[in-house]
Amino acid sequence: MLSPETEAGVRQLISRGEHRAALDRAKEIHKAVRTPASETLLVDTYVERIQALMGRGLMVEAKALVELVRQRHPSSRRRLDELARPAGAGPRSLNELLRPLADPALSTDERVTLERIVRRDVWDLSALAACEALPVTHALRTAAAALHRSFVAVTSGPVTDEELELPEVSRRSPLACWKLLVRAIAYFHRGDRESCERALDAIDAESAPARLVTALRSMLDDDTATPLQPGRSGAAGAPGLSASSPAAAALRTAVTRKPALVRELEALDRAFASRSRSGIVKLIRSVVEECRRESPGRLEALKQHISVRCAVANLDAARVVAAMGGPSRHDAAFNRLLARAFEETHDPEHLVIACSIWDEFRRAAAQEGWFAENSPESAVISLHIAGLLERIPEPALRELQQSARRGAALRGRNISFLFPDELYQRTCLLDPHPEAFSRWMAWAARQRGGQAARVAKAWHKIRHEDVEPILHLMDDAEARRAFGTAIGWLAKLDRIDSLRPDVQRRRFRLLAGAVIDRARRKKLAHAMKEIDRLAALPEAQQGDRPAVVAALRALVNAGWDDADATASCCADVDRLLQDRAAAAMLLSVVATAAKQRALGQLEGVEHLSSAERASLPRALARVGVLAGELRLSLKLPRPWLAEAARRFPASRASLGVDELRALAECGEQTGNVDLAYAATAEGLARGGASEAGFLYLRARTLAASPDRKAVCARAAAELAREQQDMELAERALAVARGPFGSELFPLTLDQAREVLREEKAATERPGGGTREPDYGHLLPQCQCPNCRRNRGEPVNPSDEFDFEDEDDFAIDLPPGMTPRMMNELLDAAAEAARRGESFDSFASRMLDDPPPGGRRRPRRRKKRR
Amino acid sequence: MMNPTDVLGVSPDASDEEIRAAYLRKVRECSPDRAPEQFERVRDAYEMLRDPRRRRRQRLFAADPISPLAVLFAGGTRPRRFVGPGPWLEVLKSK
Repeated sequence: MLSPETEAGVRQLISRGEHRAALDRAKEIHKAVRTPASETLLVDTYVERIQALMGRGLMVEAKALVELVRQRHPSSRRRLDELARPAGAGPRSLNELLRPLADPALSTDERVTLERIVRRDVWDLSALAACEALPVTHALRTAAAALHRSFVAVTSGPVTDEELELPEVSRRSPLACWKLLVRAIAYFHRGDRESCERALDAIDAESAPARLVTALRSMLDDDTATPLQPGRSGAAGAPGLSASSPAAAALRTAVTRKPALVRELEALDRAFASRSRSGIVKLIRSVVEECRRESPGRLEALKQHISVRCAVANLDAARVVAAMGGPSRHDAAFNRLLARAFEETHDPEHLVIACSIWDEFRRAAAQEGWFAENSPESAVISLHIAGLLERIPEPALRELQQSARRGAALRGRNISFLFPDELYQRTCLLDPHPEAFSRWMAWAARQRGGQAARVAKAWHKIRHEDVEPILHLMDDAEARRAFGTAIGWLAKLDRIDSLRPDVQRRRFRLLAGAVIDRARRKKLAHAMKEIDRLAALPEAQQGDRPAVVAALRALVNAGWDDADATASCCADVDRLLQDRAAAAMLLSVVATAAKQRALGQLEGVEHLSSAERASLPRALARVGVLAGELRLSLKLPRPWLAEAARRFPASRASLGVDELRALAECGEQTGNVDLAYAATAEGLARGGASEAGFLYLRARTLAASPDRKAVCARAAAELAREQQDMELAERALAVARGPFGSELFPLTLDQAREVLREEKAATERPGGGTREPDYGHLLPQCQCPNCRRNRGEPVNPSDEFDFEDEDDFAIDLPPGMTPRMMNELLDAAAEAARRGESFDSFASRMLDDPPPGGRRRPRRRKKRR
Repeated sequence: MMNPTDVLGVSPDASDEEIRAAYLRKVRECSPDRAPEQFERVRDAYEMLRDPRRRRRQRLFAADPISPLAVLFAGGTRPRRFVGPGPWLEVLKSK
């Protein structure tokens, strides 16, 4: 007897997938008891084993086992037939399988079972379409016939969307998944990856079409160059079917096999990447041969590409030409390709070669009829060459230009492609576009000797309505104190666009500057006319500007020695500012600029009332803002500045950010570092968007601590960049570079924020025992022998010698000048040079004295002959 | 960036009208809410081609000396051959 426990043991083994062990156990049991129950258990175990083999694709083994069981256990034939039927799926077995479906009396359960078998196992649509057991009009036959036609169509050539509609196949049909497969194949051939994947995802994993899902997915993956993924079948992959099965691999090879030329080209690409010279030459030969056979129309282009790559890789040209079976055609297309290749390398030497080849290209292209010699296309090439030249270091380019000039003189060659000025000029003549002019002017601004003004004039001559050159010419004239010319440019700007903020900002400054200049040159009537014009401007009514107008009137009246009118105007300044100290300082600043020393004389600070002294920081800030707007230097007596610095702590809370900024500027400009430092400390404490600006001002106050100054300026530049304030970032970077244009050290935004925190905490000016923030970790390490020795690094004796030598050439400081004073002087000189101040003006401002030998006599203007 | 003429599917010498028509067709195919990335590519390509100066520059500097030769001379994707139903049926049969 077969006990339930024994049977349960076998079935447990089956459920765990241990079919072989289950089969052995079932055989033992049946051998021992030989009952119908034990035979049924054994046959069940055989069926499970057969299904497992079929699931693994071992069809031969499964079929052999079916035959064996059929012979040994005849009672199991019906079950085994059902198992074997779909595996064959031939017409005979299909007829037997599907015959019941033609019977109208077939029960629902049996119909569902049969349809499940069709969905899961039937792969031969033509056999199904021809199944004689079903009537010709049966839905399954008509659907199979339509699907078969579509399947053949999509695998044989492009199909239309209408051909993929397949209305004969309903959504509920056992063949519905075939419709999805047909569409997936069509989308695959169209290269519509997204639609193909969508269709594949919708295929039922238990259906027969699912056997192709993995293979199709692997072919889709070929586009992204991933290897075949055997395990991946996706949501609807056929279980157990390996994508790398022989049939799938054969399909993939047949469908996606690359042409021989592509395979050869890929090999050549690999050889270029690995720089294997002999391999490259060998492959060039076979690639050229293959291309000549497969695609002769593209052979010349291919040879040109190969030649260019070999030229850049510095391969032996003769060997390459021999391998290609002759040289490539050196036409415009070749030149363009070669130039592009050389400019991609970023090597200055290659850049020069690229410029020369682009010039060649321009001429060759014009000869070949690509474009006319003087066309906009030619302008584009000239502009491009100019851009490439700007990437070459300036000294190297100058040297190259000089040697090219010498060579050109001998050979008579046109070398204009080496001169950015000529290239920009040519570009702007051929295609006068603001972008080209703007690039030309930016280039000129970096050159010595007022080249930008020349370019601005050329720009304005061609494009009268462009504002940028006029603004430049106006600023240039103002810097030269040619106020008449500058006002002429201003009038032009007013006609073009009087509402531009940069024009409005300049208008007040320019007219006030013109008044001061005329007063200085004693052209007082003219000056008074300008004042009337200035007073009528809307800009002159804003803020403290009416006081400036009144101060200018006082200046002119003082020039006329009209004491009453002067006093009246001074009283106006007082009234308008509501602050006697501020009025006195404003008059002093304006009068000093016009060299009217009498009017500019400030009384002693002790004459101010205690209230006036208490508000001195605010008064100084207001005057500082006005002086900044007018670009006037703030020369005030030291006791006034010292008093303002002394009073600052008590009044700092009442000052606005603009006033703090002005005070920091005043302190820095007048050498009152205490005031400047205290103003930056308060400004930094306020936080917000002005932090970067105050950190920049802090840097400027730190002349005595060059390292800290550089770090603060660098951090200010990073913070300004983050706020998109590129103008501040530029100014901060200039300070970070120092007077000698040192190389910038790297600083991250996080490090910049760390510097900001440190500087906010450093509220006291360094000195007198106050500890300075230590930024040693942010600065590049000093490489002098002493520092290297202190860090425990090896020191080469010759290095020590070098550094000792440098000491011999150190600058001798003038007697009485400390290194700190020297540093401050150099910083101030660098700043003055950046502002465009002349050396004479800088020297007289620094020394505050007429040059030795008494006052210089005004130079007479030479008469033009 | 891909060649803008390839993105819009126009020839390098296409006229303004052809470029605009191709752009409108592409926008219909890949609207911003359905395929935002593709739409951006199409828009960028159109922006470049509608400006004659940018188009001129793009045309002059289109030569590519860096891309692999296999890509330049055989396109980016592998060829797909129509091989008939046979090899496909072999995979279906192979369960």
